[in-house]
Amino acid sequence: MNIGTDLKANEQAFKDVFQNCSDVKFREIAINDQPKLLMIYTDGMVDTDIVLSHVLKPLLYNGQPKGLGAMDSIAHMFNRELLPVLETMRLSDTTAIAELILKGHLALLIDGEPHALLADIQRFEARSIEEPTEEATLRGSKESFTENLRTNTTMIRRILGTPKLKMESYKIGSLSQTEIVITYIEGKVSTDVLKTVRERIGKIELEGILESGYIEESIEDFHFTPFQQMGNTERPDVVAAELLEGKVAIITNGSPFVLIAPVTFWGGLQAPDDYYERFLFVDFSRWIRFMFILFSVLFPSLYIALTNYHQEMVPLKLMTTIAMLREKSPFPTVIEVLLMELMFEGLREAGIRLPMQIGPLVTVAGALVIGEAAVRAGIISAPIVIVVAAAGIASFVIPRYRAGYPLRMLRFPLLVLSGLFGLFGMAVGIIAILIHMIHLSSFGTPFFSPVAPLASRRLKDILVRKPRKLVKRSGPEAESS
Amino acid sequence: MRRAGKLLLALLLVVPLTACWNLEEPDEQAFVLGSGLDYTKQGEVMLSSQIVVPSGIGSSQDGGGSQKPDSFRMMKANGKNVYDAVENLQKQVSRALFFGHRQTIIIGHRMAVHGIGSFMDIFIRNPQAELRSSIFVVKNAEAKDIFTITPIFDPIITPTLSREIRSMGLKPYYFRNFLAESMSETKLPLVPLISLNEMHKYVYAGGAILNKDDDLKLIGFLNAKEALYANWILGNLNRLAITALVKKGDGNVSVKLQTLNHKVHVKPSGSQINVDVHLTGKGTIVENNSNLDPTNRMDLMTIQKALSEATQTSIVEMVNKVQKRYKADIFAFGESFHRQQPVQWKTLRTGWKEAFPLLHITVKVDIQCKDPGQSSSSLMKSFQKPG
Repeated sequence: MNIGTDLKANEQAFKDVFQNCSDVKFREIAINDQPKLLMIYTDGMVDTDIVLSHVLKPLLYNGQPKGLGAMDSIAHMFNRELLPVLETMRLSDTTAIAELILKGHLALLIDGEPHALLADIQRFEARSIEEPTEEATLRGSKESFTENLRTNTTMIRRILGTPKLKMESYKIGSLSQTEIVITYIEGKVSTDVLKTVRERIGKIELEGILESGYIEESIEDFHFTPFQQMGNTERPDVVAAELLEGKVAIITNGSPFVLIAPVTFWGGLQAPDDYYERFLFVDFSRWIRFMFILFSVLFPSLYIALTNYHQEMVPLKLMTTIAMLREKSPFPTVIEVLLMELMFEGLREAGIRLPMQIGPLVTVAGALVIGEAAVRAGIISAPIVIVVAAAGIASFVIPRYRAGYPLRMLRFPLLVLSGLFGLFGMAVGIIAILIHMIHLSSFGTPFFSPVAPLASRRLKDILVRKPRKLVKRSGPEAESS
Repeated sequence: MRRAGKLLLALLLVVPLTACWNLEEPDEQAFVLGSGLDYTKQGEVMLSSQIVVPSGIGSSQDGGGSQKPDSFRMMKANGKNVYDAVENLQKQVSRALFFGHRQTIIIGHRMAVHGIGSFMDIFIRNPQAELRSSIFVVKNAEAKDIFTITPIFDPIITPTLSREIRSMGLKPYYFRNFLAESMSETKLPLVPLISLNEMHKYVYAGGAILNKDDDLKLIGFLNAKEALYANWILGNLNRLAITALVKKGDGNVSVKLQTLNHKVHVKPSGSQINVDVHLTGKGTIVENNSNLDPTNRMDLMTIQKALSEATQTSIVEMVNKVQKRYKADIFAFGESFHRQQPVQWKTLRTGWKEAFPLLHITVKVDIQCKDPGQSSSSLMKSFQKPG
């Protein structure tokens, strides 16, 4: 519906649209005692300074500007002479105007003119840039993304000051009208991946996008898998690094987490520090990480398999000690481990959402319940506590917290399998997991690459990190995968 | 995804089909640490086993005053053969006997005399952990007597025995060595020997020679010293202490040999077969009660010569005993012959047993004292009356 020339009718039209929207304000201004002007804006989303100093004051104190005669309309006059705003536009579609008003534009309707002048004077309270809370590093930038899309794009642009860095804007969510930005480096990015991302984003049919997770779930390749096929990060430097490797990042308004595609399993095991610290130390800590990841997935089930099926594989002294400590416990080993694992996961889950003040309570209760009391009471044998706690802690060495989810989850099927069939069951479980992982792909990139399918040239960057002088960076990285 | 699931299911279904279900909690098992084989007067096998009692091990913090059970229990049972005895033993034990951790196999004196060859089958047909368990023969006692000893350091005797072998400077002698030797063409097994002393403690007593051609019957013993020399010839010795009287210096000298080498050279000349055994050892003088000064070159030569000669005499005696009395090739001379003279070996192979006692064996020992120790001449001089 378009607006007409009659100001009264227009006002009524917008009042109908914004019925019961108390935050949308209407303000009539009379010029020469005639109500000539109507301002519509959303309270709290506009910069009131601009409205006061550039719209109201000149009009009310100075009356009708003298230059009006030369201009064809008041709207034109505002546009040219009064509003010191970068982005203005003239629209006549009611719904489009209404949308922009809700995004923080000031709409000016002038009597006798069949269109509205919209000025972007958006300004609202937002969180300032803070240190990353989830991906802390010892070295490297301390910035993290905020909820504001523009702030986020700015942070990336500041790192990659090249016109080749493209930012394509889309609006998705039929009600939320969330703005998202697909960003990539032209010439580096794989065109296939970019095409797929655009296509899939175009197909999203959702009412509202509250978090980048909505988008991730809508465009990922496989749903029934614990492994995530898109990375997410709150660090601008990580996004920049990934863009340089030819990946695509998706920034969502309202979310401090930026999505990255495509990702591989191995990417999730790398920390940003890996490229900031000296390479020898990085290689050392990377291998520590690999070891602990294996340890965290396999240790509890290995313990069950060895103590219940293959006692001869445990050194005698250890075996007698385990047997001695098990003597009192009433449950089978499998049940013991499952109980403790569940307890550990429960504590972890509780710890995430607890208010700061209650946090220590859970720590104390957890330490007492898990560590001391259960063993003292003879309900759980001591080695189980060690096994579960060690594996649990080991699972947190994974640098990206979310890349650790699947590994933490897969412990449970492995536990059951090794409890039922010993090392054989464990082997079957591991093979099944590997088959599944190799089957996965993320936007056309095999999830387990470069290990399977093998790309030995890129393998070197996975297992170790060579000093930069020895690494030849050539062409779009994604093309070689 | 779905196919992977089906595959997994199929793989897992294989397991119940085999009807194998071997889940055993550690508290459902009786860990056997050592087994002893004895031969009863009635002609039965007596299997004695040392079983761990887990609740008796460690954990001193809880229950300070409460009565702690022993950390092990010795159980024994008789049977027609070894497994029959195992079954009879199981009747007395409420948990499944688990032999996967058996570290030690001990053969009683009477069993060794009777010959253990006819009882070896189970260890080969149904092996558990025997390849890495150590084996011993007991002199003048039964195997079960060893298991009741409470050792000084460990809670249980079995690991102590193999450590004892190592502390003597010998390489550990495992069941697999024993098997290999009993199946070899010419070499006879020399099994470590232990015996009980008056205080009912074990003591390393040398070696037992078993006849691999006759049901592994006991041929004879070597005492501790002789067994060490024999192992030197075999190359199984890492260190050796030698004490000998140095006549010229009017006192004895002890040397600790750290580097021991052995060389066996077989030279057939006509019908005569010469075997040259050359043993060398380098070490440190640890005790000098003679009036010689080891830092003096001439004196050192005297000491070395006296030590070498004394050792050589003992070794020749030992070799003669083995060669003439026992007629047992425990030194693997046959194997050396085979290796050094492969062509002639073919004619000799079958007659080695007869040829061995006729070998012309010469032993040469060279001892070098590389390090005279922290002082020069013996301090004893200053304690003696002048003149």
